[in-house]
Amino acid sequence: MAREELLGLGSKIVEKALKEGFDEAAILVRRVDETMVKLANSQPSVTQKWSEYYVSIYVTKNKRIFIIELRPRDLGVLDKPLKELFGYASRVEESMFYVPLPEPGKIEKLEGLVDKYMFDYLENPLRLAEASLEAAHRENIDYVAGTIDLWYVEKALVTSKGGEFYEDSTGYQMYLRAFSGEDGSGQWSACGTRVDVKAIEEASSMAAKYAVESRGRASVEPGKYDLILSPLVFGNLINLVARMASAFSIFMGMSIFMKKMPGDKVASEKLTVKDAPRYTELPYATSFDDEGIGTWDKPIIEKGVLKTILHNTKTAAKFGGKSTGNAGWIYPHPWNLVVEPGDYSFDELIGEVKRGILVTNNWYTRLQNYVEGIFSTISRDALFLIKDGEIVKPVEKIRIADKLPNLLNNVEGLGKETYNIKWWEVGIPTKLPYVLVRGINVSKHML
Amino acid sequence: MVEDLLFYAIDYARERGANYAEARYHKNISETIFSRNGMVLGVGKEVKEGIGIRVVVNGTLGFTAVNKLDRETIRDAIDKIIVQTRYLSKLMKDKIEFSEERLGRARYEVVPRKPFERYSIDDKIKFHKELWNIVSKVPRETRLNVLMIQYIESLEEKIVVNSDGAYVASRIPRLSIYYNLVLSHPQKGSIQRWEQLGASGGLEWFDEWKLYETLPRDVETYEKILLTAIEPPRDKVDVVIGSEIVGLIVHESCGHPSEADRILGREAAQAGKSFIKKDMIGEKIGTEYATVIDDPTIPGSYGFYLYDDEGVPARARYLYKEGLINEHLHNRWTAKIYGVNSNAAARAMDYRSEPIIRMANTYFKPGDYSFEELIEDIRHGVYMKSYMEWNIDDERWSQRYVGLEAYLIENGELKGFVRNPVLEITTKSFYSSIDAAGKELRFYAGTCGKGEPAQGVPVWFGGPDVRLRNIRLGVSV
Repeated sequence: MAREELLGLGSKIVEKALKEGFDEAAILVRRVDETMVKLANSQPSVTQKWSEYYVSIYVTKNKRIFIIELRPRDLGVLDKPLKELFGYASRVEESMFYVPLPEPGKIEKLEGLVDKYMFDYLENPLRLAEASLEAAHRENIDYVAGTIDLWYVEKALVTSKGGEFYEDSTGYQMYLRAFSGEDGSGQWSACGTRVDVKAIEEASSMAAKYAVESRGRASVEPGKYDLILSPLVFGNLINLVARMASAFSIFMGMSIFMKKMPGDKVASEKLTVKDAPRYTELPYATSFDDEGIGTWDKPIIEKGVLKTILHNTKTAAKFGGKSTGNAGWIYPHPWNLVVEPGDYSFDELIGEVKRGILVTNNWYTRLQNYVEGIFSTISRDALFLIKDGEIVKPVEKIRIADKLPNLLNNVEGLGKETYNIKWWEVGIPTKLPYVLVRGINVSKHML
Repeated sequence: MVEDLLFYAIDYARERGANYAEARYHKNISETIFSRNGMVLGVGKEVKEGIGIRVVVNGTLGFTAVNKLDRETIRDAIDKIIVQTRYLSKLMKDKIEFSEERLGRARYEVVPRKPFERYSIDDKIKFHKELWNIVSKVPRETRLNVLMIQYIESLEEKIVVNSDGAYVASRIPRLSIYYNLVLSHPQKGSIQRWEQLGASGGLEWFDEWKLYETLPRDVETYEKILLTAIEPPRDKVDVVIGSEIVGLIVHESCGHPSEADRILGREAAQAGKSFIKKDMIGEKIGTEYATVIDDPTIPGSYGFYLYDDEGVPARARYLYKEGLINEHLHNRWTAKIYGVNSNAAARAMDYRSEPIIRMANTYFKPGDYSFEELIEDIRHGVYMKSYMEWNIDDERWSQRYVGLEAYLIENGELKGFVRNPVLEITTKSFYSSIDAAGKELRFYAGTCGKGEPAQGVPVWFGGPDVRLRNIRLGVSV
């Protein structure tokens, strides 16, 4: 489908909804071409391909809000849920979040979101898989596993206020995990709007390098350590924090910012985290949100101060404020994240640590309490003990078990080199450096 | 007829050079009512409907999906995936082959006792409001800041056909409720509980779950924990692990490491590998009490099915048996490598997802102790009944569970609450420390994540309360 077809489809559904009797409608139609190669044991475990369209429908009647998510076989599928929901309109109460859909404003279109070379790779991703495998196997590793995911997305938003918006973009994410010897493993990731074979090769080499260097691990005692967190690890934790900056997370009791206001100090003054929808290097860049509000880059945390709660028009009205261009009809969310780099080289960061651990990857971050931010996460892949400013040896798995506010407040230094990361545990594309955090609690199994 | 399209897809894929072809019509529909503090914020509907197609070309696996259901779209999708799979087959070293199986030709359906239509939307909204009215009045010295409730009724319909002769049509309705509550006190801070309830069937589960009774009781307990809980003991103690945590533990440290695709490295970059290696059947993992079963065929279960998405008939799998690693979860690919039969663990979340090895309903086999008998000879110990925080490493060896509702045990009796006790233990230590299991089997609902793109599938996990001897608990920050 192309621009006109998608907008036409959106308009048809708006008409259908209004004819059914709804007061307002916003229709988001997305058409996605996606190709994914999954690697395991240094060969493809499966290659996947999708070409589909998704339709999201927002309708209101007498200030009641209804949402339909469809992956429809045809438009006829719509009739039944629309009728059923209309039947509910008199019985459901007014939503406390209701505000009228915004009047369409001017959108500053983002340029450079489509990489024409992506279309060749969508048809044949072999070269990218080969490049990744070859780069990793230049090191002394046994095998790799990973994913290369490529997409072309067209999205069209049509609202009953007369808003009509269209945008298309390409993107990719890749991550590779390399294994070497009995206990060596490393992982790295890359992502972008444009396919970057060099970035894929570099990420594959990083994974392989860490796999080799982490062979022959020693045990490490639990306790308080200074931690150097790789972009994968800090990315995972800062994704969590950024989602907590959504007004909806706060409203639902799922946020450390429940008792905080913009202007409050929430982190070390060294830390600045931005929501960056207009940063076109990262693959979720977009010029408009799901309500048709134009996007802009904004700090969530600036020099340690909470600057922005992320809003759509509904949460903004409820909390008192303006939309930040982050809709989600219900859940406002960050688009891309950028952590401002510091001025340390990697070696200088290590040099700052007397007794610490370099953690290169983690997963399974879970919280005991979102309001207090009590969490733990377990490392995977390479980690290294640091003593007196030098990496001394690879060590066995540990957990970071602390409070998110401590983690944010104890950020002491950031690297000057940044990396674009997106994988299973870093769902929001994030550009960030290695980060030094002081005095964080580390636990491990003692039984 | 959608069946015609499925058979067409298989025939066309075979004509185009696929050695194996499988087509699955898969429809998931759901309705959600979402509230906060008794106020409905919105009502949502979701319809996902399409056909997932899997092919083996030159010994390489390819998967594609369409949601426009006509022959032209299917032909185009098959042409593309066959070409793409052929390209990638150049990198293939170990060709994909499937085990020989007796595949199902069957149709089955879960018939709810109370279909979703039995209650009106007004009744369902009333449930949210009444629950808030009852529960919000419970706290005396604390405040219930948030009670979020998500009510979901869903229906999953599938028709699986493949070029080896399978035809399995199924229809499974499910009811799910999620809630999150936050209780706070100006000086004592806050306590949070998130829980998922789920089962296959209909509204009869409302009567079973009795949230009107259980949730007020729970909130009363959480208030006491917030106000009175003390630090857990630091010395070695006996610990009784409640069935909710036992269920989670068996899911994480038996079910996942027993997935044969993980053992073979297929998920190494995502869900990880397994401490279980290919030649470890029969190795000791725990005491004689350590028997863990995964059974898709439990009536009413959240993870219920009778045939998997490769058409293989389902049965109970004894993953650990009397302390030994006994059997893994297989699909037809891993079964071929192991030289065994598939035990029907292949599941796909929706039409756009490939079938992969999944758990269904995993549980620790009950023993014969009453709860009183489990604690009667404990002089000094802890009973961990529920949890919030947990995690486990990617080989499923080192795990951590932080108790939410947890009690001190003194001289065989429960005495007050302990705050956030931490059980941080290896898989072998856990199963080797069990010296008694309760007789009451309880199940809990979860959505298990695996795969790329990630797939969440409904599962139950459960067990009885179990007793561990000589455990040193940690303390949360």
